[in-house]
Amino acid sequence: MDILNIKNISKSYVDHMALDNISINIPRSSIFGLLGPNGAGKTTLIRIINQIINQDSGNVLLHGKNINYDDIRKIGYMPEERGLYKKMKIGDFLLFMGKLKGLNRSQCIDSARDWFNNLEVSNWWNKNIEDLSKGMSQKVQFISTVLHNPDLIILDEPFSGFDPINANLIKKNLLRLKDEGKTIIFSTHRMESVDELCDNLAMINNSKKILSGKINDIKSDYKSDTYKVRHLNKLDISSKQFSIINSNIVFENIYDSEIKILNKTSSNSVLKSLLNKIEILEFKQKVPNMNDIFILKVEEGNKNG
Amino acid sequence: MDKIWIIFEREYLQRVKKKSFLLSTLITPLIFPLFIAITVFLLSNNDEEKHIISFVDSNALIEDTLEFNNNILVRSSLKLEELNNQINSGEIYGALIIPKFDIYNPSNIKFYSKNIPSGDFINDVESILEDRIENIKIKELGLNQESLDKLVTRISLNTYSISEISSTDIGSEIEAVKSNSSLAFGVGYFNGFLIYMFVFIYGSFILQSVLDEKSSKVVEVIISSVKPFQLMMGKVLGVGAVAFTQILIWIILVFSISAFTSSYFGYDSTSSVNDIASIQENSDQSKEIVFGMFDMISSIDVTKIIISFIIYFLGGFFLYGAFFAAIGSAVDNLQDASQFTLPISLPIIASLMFMAVVLENPNSTTSVFLSMFPLTSPILMMARLTFGVPDWQLFLSIFLLFSSVIFALWFAGRIYRVGILTSGSKVTYKLLWKWFIMKNY
Repeated sequence: MDILNIKNISKSYVDHMALDNISINIPRSSIFGLLGPNGAGKTTLIRIINQIINQDSGNVLLHGKNINYDDIRKIGYMPEERGLYKKMKIGDFLLFMGKLKGLNRSQCIDSARDWFNNLEVSNWWNKNIEDLSKGMSQKVQFISTVLHNPDLIILDEPFSGFDPINANLIKKNLLRLKDEGKTIIFSTHRMESVDELCDNLAMINNSKKILSGKINDIKSDYKSDTYKVRHLNKLDISSKQFSIINSNIVFENIYDSEIKILNKTSSNSVLKSLLNKIEILEFKQKVPNMNDIFILKVEEGNKNG
Repeated sequence: MDKIWIIFEREYLQRVKKKSFLLSTLITPLIFPLFIAITVFLLSNNDEEKHIISFVDSNALIEDTLEFNNNILVRSSLKLEELNNQINSGEIYGALIIPKFDIYNPSNIKFYSKNIPSGDFINDVESILEDRIENIKIKELGLNQESLDKLVTRISLNTYSISEISSTDIGSEIEAVKSNSSLAFGVGYFNGFLIYMFVFIYGSFILQSVLDEKSSKVVEVIISSVKPFQLMMGKVLGVGAVAFTQILIWIILVFSISAFTSSYFGYDSTSSVNDIASIQENSDQSKEIVFGMFDMISSIDVTKIIISFIIYFLGGFFLYGAFFAAIGSAVDNLQDASQFTLPISLPIIASLMFMAVVLENPNSTTSVFLSMFPLTSPILMMARLTFGVPDWQLFLSIFLLFSSVIFALWFAGRIYRVGILTSGSKVTYKLLWKWFIMKNY
């Protein structure tokens, strides 16, 4: 079941096209990665979902119905360009944000207290925002995004500028929110976090969708015929079945080698022939990470474009 | 509407809770009386040492010693060089040299001193000499003091403005309100200037506030929960309410202070009004001045002026505030804002300059036009108002002003919605126009 369907969205600005006929489906209770290089159109798409700007054509469906302005309170949005009012107390700011999302005072206070606990901060209610460090204000921004307990959480470049400890804390909380049944969409151009978090993804480049689907499916589509072998003694043979890309000593006479299987030979027969010659400690297919796929796709697209 | 209120509340409370608001609200009204008090104090405390002035009088106009204010004139027979030395050494303040002249053609009277003497001093010396010469002339011509006194006539013109007769008054006497054109001038100027100050100061608060939200990047966080137009409206209304609060506090302050002073001086505006004779009989001079002031103030329609002031302030503020909000949303910093604020400020500054024209001739075609034209009416209608403005002109002017306010807010809203999310681009009038006509943003 999808929580959000984006259908044939196009959007152009004064001088360029930002989105060209984009369709994406986002399943409920999952973490969805929206990937693409800077300027690809991610932020425009997110702004359209949040009804900050209007699309030229196409529809956004939330729970199967055309999204309308009242749905805003079911969404928690943390923009890439995010800031806080410097001259406010944290509590006043959270109250303000909560009220805009339709919470009353006590709901705001209760929810803020829970989130202070979740993000391992003491009670910051009466602290001045201008006294906060960067990491602290990022936590406050995150709290203000999820304060009203939204079903759909949209984070634009959530980890940019986060230190690794805070980033991990946020990741942990995102996974917990997913387990609670929330759906999280986040955009990023940093792929490590995609590998760790995402169930599904879509990739946008030059205003077009170039890839989408389950992350595991995508990875298996892009898995290569390269294998990593850890073995004892030197491997210096070649055959019709495989070629050795490189071979390095790890420790004493333990070697790590990368081999490329040739002529569509099955991995089993390669393994059989290797077993006769050397002692195998490890035999593993090299699965591409998202970073490799991302670069591959973007470069591919740029060549074609 | 609900969300405009939340934005409004934050904007309002953040500003009103600031210490600077409380200070400026309480201190600003004290500045004018304080300024007057200091001036009076300085003038009254002028009795330093006495100035000794030597004089050489070849006509025997003045007695040997004559004291006036803080000056003593002492007859001297010294030469000018010796007097100069005395002046330089500080022995005497100055020297007055009256040469021999024909009393029907006095000339060549000179005064020497180290410092330039004050205008008051010169006037005093001149009137002393004029007095003496006049006395000599009276004697020489054989005139009689009594008939001379009878010759002097003093007239003070009382001006009245006739107010329109309301339906209930038909048949009764035309109600004439004693008017005072210099008071009308003063109050008109004061009101116009106050509106000018308020529109400028609070208009730039809006600009600053919009710009702060944009540069601190909080705006997109907010805009995901409110429509840009709601955010802009909440902000403009919030800042406007702060200004309104300030005005209200001032009005209350002014009324409680004047109520206090009038009861202190025992003035009753309902009984002894407008009776100059009765006031003049009163020997107490300060009381007379204060009564005169209260009389003048009670001759103008204070309620009408206050209500109009509030209406024109709000109208002017929203009109210009909308433009300031649009500018704040479009630019990235204050430096960039100045190229747009200048043309917007021009009509306000021009209004201030036109004020002299309007006050000089409040019912000329130009004045009527300027008090109708929305960009100038907030200041110039307020300037005209104390001279008496027909109701239809007032209502038409207010109608035009608030129609323009609606247009300006709509116009500003269309630029605002694009502007707040756009940074880093070089903003030109052409780009603003593109934003304005852009559909589907």
